[in-house]
Amino acid sequence: MKKLRVGIIGGGISGTALGYHLSLYGNAEVVLFEKNAIGCGTTSKSAGTVCLFDDSLRNRYWDVRLYGFESYLKMEREEKGSTGFDKTGTLVAVTSEEVEATVETGIALAKAAGYQGEYITDKDRIKKILPLIDVENILGAGYTQDDGYFDGTMISNTYARKMQQKGGVVYTMTPVVEIVVSGGKAAGVKTAGGTMHLFDRVVDCTGPWSRFTGKMAGLDVPIWHTKAEAFFLSPPGKKLNYVFPVLKYPAFYALRAGDNIFICKSHLSMDLDNPMHAGQWDPDKLPATGGTDDYFIEFLFEQMQKSVPGLVASGLVSSWLSYRAEPRDFLPLLGETPIDGYILATGYGGNGIIEAPAASRDLAKFIMRGESTPLLEDWAFKRLWGKERS
Amino acid sequence: MDIAVCVKQVPVSNDVSVDPVTHSLVRDSAESMLNPADANALEEAVALRERYDGQVIAFTMGPPSAEKALRAALAMGADDAVLITDRAFAGADTVATARVLAESLRRYGVFDLVITGSESSDGATGQVGPMLAEFLAWPHLTEVRRIEAVETGRLRGLKKFKNGFLRAAVTLPAVLTVSYGCNEPRLPTFLSQISANKKSVPAYTNKELGLSPGAVGLAGSPTEVIDTFAPERRKRAELLSGTPEEIAGKILALIEKKRGKDNG
Ligand SMILES: Cc1cc2nc3c(=O)[nH]c(=O)nc-3n(C[C@H](O)[C@H](O)[C@H](O)COP(=O)(O)OP(=O)(O)OC[C@H]3O[C@@H](n4cnc5c(N)ncnc54)[C@H](O)[C@@H]3O)c2cc1C
Ligand SMILES: Cc1cc2nc3c(=O)[nH]c(=O)nc-3n(C[C@H](O)[C@H](O)[C@H](O)COP(=O)(O)OP(=O)(O)OC[C@H]3O[C@@H](n4cnc5c(N)ncnc54)[C@H](O)[C@@H]3O)c2cc1C
Repeated sequence: MKKLRVGIIGGGISGTALGYHLSLYGNAEVVLFEKNAIGCGTTSKSAGTVCLFDDSLRNRYWDVRLYGFESYLKMEREEKGSTGFDKTGTLVAVTSEEVEATVETGIALAKAAGYQGEYITDKDRIKKILPLIDVENILGAGYTQDDGYFDGTMISNTYARKMQQKGGVVYTMTPVVEIVVSGGKAAGVKTAGGTMHLFDRVVDCTGPWSRFTGKMAGLDVPIWHTKAEAFFLSPPGKKLNYVFPVLKYPAFYALRAGDNIFICKSHLSMDLDNPMHAGQWDPDKLPATGGTDDYFIEFLFEQMQKSVPGLVASGLVSSWLSYRAEPRDFLPLLGETPIDGYILATGYGGNGIIEAPAASRDLAKFIMRGESTPLLEDWAFKRLWGKERS
Repeated sequence: MDIAVCVKQVPVSNDVSVDPVTHSLVRDSAESMLNPADANALEEAVALRERYDGQVIAFTMGPPSAEKALRAALAMGADDAVLITDRAFAGADTVATARVLAESLRRYGVFDLVITGSESSDGATGQVGPMLAEFLAWPHLTEVRRIEAVETGRLRGLKKFKNGFLRAAVTLPAVLTVSYGCNEPRLPTFLSQISANKKSVPAYTNKELGLSPGAVGLAGSPTEVIDTFAPERRKRAELLSGTPEEIAGKILALIEKKRGKDNG
């Protein structure tokens, strides 16, 4: 059987999930290049929430969410600790009738898939689940108990290992510095060490680096960077003596990180035309910690005063800044490009952990069998050809 | 009780990234932070203010970007902060640093106490605190672990001494240097951080201080750091990359090489 040689650039959740799904095909010969360590990019700064419902990903993509969640549950069942799953449950504050409709649908879908879920309007019960929040200015809260958050770096490493077990090859500390395009077709990559690798397909899984990677192939990859500014809070009293669920409001979300609370602005609240929110920067210059904007502290303070007064007096332990790779319509960029053999699996924005399993499953099928799926059609890079200004 | 705290902005040591192509260190990503022991100094100062009233003022000498360390100090509870910055101060050794700090404190006002960290995480000479005391002609107590009491113009504290502690008292005004880890520095809160970010921080240049140009910066420094280098390491870690087979091959080759060396 003739093998199809696929080179993957980038070892975050995108590259490793794709590598794993490709390695399930007998005729795939997969090689992954990561310039640093597996899962050390955006994936390492992620909150990793994979909730059964919320409005971060339209209910229309429910199957994507469910496939992601169940893939990780299965991984965790096979090997405890391989995904870093913390089953805290999720509480979504319902702040308007519009949110209410989304939440009710999400809860119904979760229940249909066999998970626990309810829309709670009894304020006392909400207060029991999470004493820190203000229940006066919400209509109710959606609550699912079976989900929580995962560790994207652990998952990426597990995917990379599974891919290697199936014969895939992973090079770490190996930056790709050149994409060989000959006769309008991507034919391989060159690494910093000077080695040339020939491929039938080259897949760009470099997330916020995709603009740079795309340039190597002569392609303008239309992603923007939105600032993901995250804070770690030490709640008053310092110890959480109850399970703090993933807490979602339209403008921000919070989850536990040991005895601290990780809190971040939600990605859908970012405005690509606001220079405080978005731009095009160099992810290599991101500091390991810190780098957040002053305005962001004020924003969080206002949100806490309004919604989670129990966290207003928290200590600010640390913070970090990361870039989410977002196309203008906030949907991933998958599939073929004008350069034959050069494929994208990037632009996962604020949902890469949730989306990567299903998107990679479908993309692997497309690469290996040429068969598309409705999801690939929706998220195809093709939708943007010629429409972008850079 | 009015207290001055001297703080230094230091590089975050573990933030060194390597240019993937040239393999040289990328310096523009180097981050900086408040010197860790200085957070302990601030905690002592703010705790003293809570007990005895007064003001805590933070001072730093450094480039304009050192203002960040002052914002951190304000967020921890300093009432005001002063940035001492002038190209003429660049290249200062510990003597020139202490001289400029002493002059800045005098210019600001009257203090009962100055607290510094016992040493910085970069230069780490541990000299600035005691030298500052010399320039101010005040007594000093170094490596203080705990301040026990302030009464009738004297401060009593525990300091590190050989393998134990020494209980000592100084007459105020005095300079204390406190050890890293002697307390748990308080965290900034939303409110304290927001007001710290908004506070205006005055800058002192040598125009305000009026020191002779030969007394500051490189010119005023009897000591010059000529070179810094890591000790030569004889054992080096090597990162092997490649497929498991390739890595195994490389390990085998290394073992063979080592064995060859040992046998011959
Ligand atoms: C604060 C924050 C919170 C988030 N919360 C969630 C959440 O709750 N749920 C969720 O689903 N998603 C969340 N996300 C989004 C999610 O983390 C991202 O969508 C996802 O991690 C992107 O993965 P990636 O593999 O595309 O990119 P990355 O993880 O950035 O991977 C790209 C990789 O490519 C490598 N690379 C770059 N250039 C080269 C080169 N030339 N050669 C070789 N390798 C190269 C990089 O080193 C990097 O490892 C969050 C993101 C952030 C920042
Ligand atoms: C690797 C290295 C080695 C050096 N060796 C020497 C040397 O041997 N002799 C010498 O004279 N100089 C030396 N220097 C220069 C020295 O670092 C500077 O003079 C510096 O301004 C103060 O010295 P320190 O960092 O050793 O401070 P330390 O004396 O270790 O610092 C103690 C405390 O003094 C206060 N402090 C120190 N600097 C400042 C400041 N700029 N602003 C406000 N408060 C401050 C802080 O509270 C700090 O915690 C060296 C510098 C480096 C980077």
